[in-house]
Amino acid sequence: MDAAVKPRLMRDVVIEAICAAARKDKDILFISADLGAVALDDLRRDLPNQFIHAGIAEQHMIDLAAGLALSGKKVFCYAMAPFITARCYEQIKCVISSMNLPVTLIAVGVGLGYDHATLTHFTPEDIACMRALNGIEVLTPSDEVMAAAIVYIALSSPAFRYLRLDRQVFPRLYGDDAMRVLEIGFGIVRPGKDVAILACGALVHKALAAAEILAAQGVSAGVVDIVRVKPFDGAALAGALKGYRSILTVEEQLLEGAMGSAVMEALVDATGKLDWRLKRLGMRDRFEVVNGDRDHLHSLYGIDTPDIVRAAQALANG
Amino acid sequence: MATTHRINDLDAKALWLRRQLWDMVMAAKNGHIPSCYSCTEIATALYYGGVVRYTPGKADDPTRDRVVISKGHAAMVLYPILADIGYFDAAELDRFTKPGGLLGMYADLRIPGIEGISGSLGHGLGMGAGFALAARHNDESHRTFVVLGDGECYEGSIWETAMFAAHHKLDNLVAVVDRNALCILGRTEELVALGDLRAKWQAFGWHSVEVDGHSFDGVLGAFDLIGRTGGKPLAIIANTVKGKGISFMEGRSEWHNKMPNAEQMAKARTELGLV
Ligand SMILES: Cc1ncc(C[n+]2csc(CCOP(=O)(O)OP(=O)(O)O)c2C)c(N)n1
Repeated sequence: MDAAVKPRLMRDVVIEAICAAARKDKDILFISADLGAVALDDLRRDLPNQFIHAGIAEQHMIDLAAGLALSGKKVFCYAMAPFITARCYEQIKCVISSMNLPVTLIAVGVGLGYDHATLTHFTPEDIACMRALNGIEVLTPSDEVMAAAIVYIALSSPAFRYLRLDRQVFPRLYGDDAMRVLEIGFGIVRPGKDVAILACGALVHKALAAAEILAAQGVSAGVVDIVRVKPFDGAALAGALKGYRSILTVEEQLLEGAMGSAVMEALVDATGKLDWRLKRLGMRDRFEVVNGDRDHLHSLYGIDTPDIVRAAQALANG
Repeated sequence: MATTHRINDLDAKALWLRRQLWDMVMAAKNGHIPSCYSCTEIATALYYGGVVRYTPGKADDPTRDRVVISKGHAAMVLYPILADIGYFDAAELDRFTKPGGLLGMYADLRIPGIEGISGSLGHGLGMGAGFALAARHNDESHRTFVVLGDGECYEGSIWETAMFAAHHKLDNLVAVVDRNALCILGRTEELVALGDLRAKWQAFGWHSVEVDGHSFDGVLGAFDLIGRTGGKPLAIIANTVKGKGISFMEGRSEWHNKMPNAEQMAKARTELGLV
């Protein structure tokens, strides 16, 4: 990957790939519940028969997708994260999950991405609620290269998947290695010895910043990007973390049932015991409506870079 | 309780409101001007046209009418008004979306005069029906006004409530549909036609009228029907122009959440008489 090329929005990269594939395969359909993207303008213009505006009607969008998928179509549903998850959860459960249909749900602005829009637009629970669904694959890229790798898989082997896109642009973490990392489900984006910091999406970048600070303080922190939350290979992770004394998970989610839970469960299931010092960082229950941008919110909810540094230090010194 | 103003006062108030909103959004570099300008006359008529019953400075007066901007991305249309009627310090308008400030992009219960959280479309009418039903249970005479986006009317939940409210003869409930014929990705009639909304609300058992949503005569005339609907809830289809008042934004969906550049900003300020 050419580092000189400016990083791009995940959604544009993903939609471009879908558009390119859709030009060759008329069974690929893209449904939006009134969410746009620069790349979507091309798709709408060039392939009007493969673009469907569902209306601002997320529940309908999912049922419609089911009917289309049952008729042999490869369907991509697209909306803001809160509205393509919780808003139509029962539809996803009853028709997509229960019939195991090849529908890809593309969410934009996961976690606290829509910072100023506050609680109705946050998805502090999307990992927990989506990974609870029968048969789903949950994917959460931390850069646009990984987002492209995921959509490549979604196009070449359609299945029931939930793709969590950030609405922020991040520096690239991957190049040619993206596909290999995706196969395993996690990527070691910074090696270390003392504390392994496990993160996903936006917080991978904060974890990397924290690891840099920790290095200056004499703590060797590795950073592991958890790309596929479900299914998760606990044995592979346990192997990769064998050399570490401690594991710290950090996420832009309520702790209940989220990525940290998924990882700990997988480690327990794979090894039958936990040999590390452990800590999960996430959002407190009963967080409130406050004004502020995403960094401000991270700091408020105790998941910002300094919080990660502190938690890692406590593990390393404990 | 507030008194009725004359129409020319209302025009001046609407311009004042547009200017206030402009300053807030431009300072925050965040917000939905076209969606607010679409329902500026509706909000102005509600509070300054003698429609909504409220007690200045007393947001928790239990006898107050309930107002819900269900298209929550435009809930901020109420902020300057709520400050003006003494619900909170007008200095808060300068701290819109700022850390420590009271006023956010979407309205929530921190804010005096805001009846419920908003931001996810399709919830306001159901909550409004709850307020209306509670008023009936409690033998209270306050009314509930819910402003809906027309795009919001794609949500099935709107029609679930529409059926319920008619069945329960909630004639203390008013839905105002801000019919600007746009959502984010384009024109409603081209994307998924909403069709004749007046007829649709009527078919759901509401007393339904269609008016020019930028005309105080039209809007106030429709509000006059409250209590004269033969027991039906009242639906007002207010035909509006998204971005009304800023020539280059009017009727153009791409402005939904876009910020103007310096040149456009200057043009808009001239049109608002801010220079
Ligand atoms: C349930 C839900 N789905 C999607 C959105 C994203 N969204 C915000 S505003 C908007 C368009 C609303 O159109 P309309 O109701 O007509 O309002 P207006 O055009 O007056 O802004 C959309 C899709 C949302 N806030 N809530």
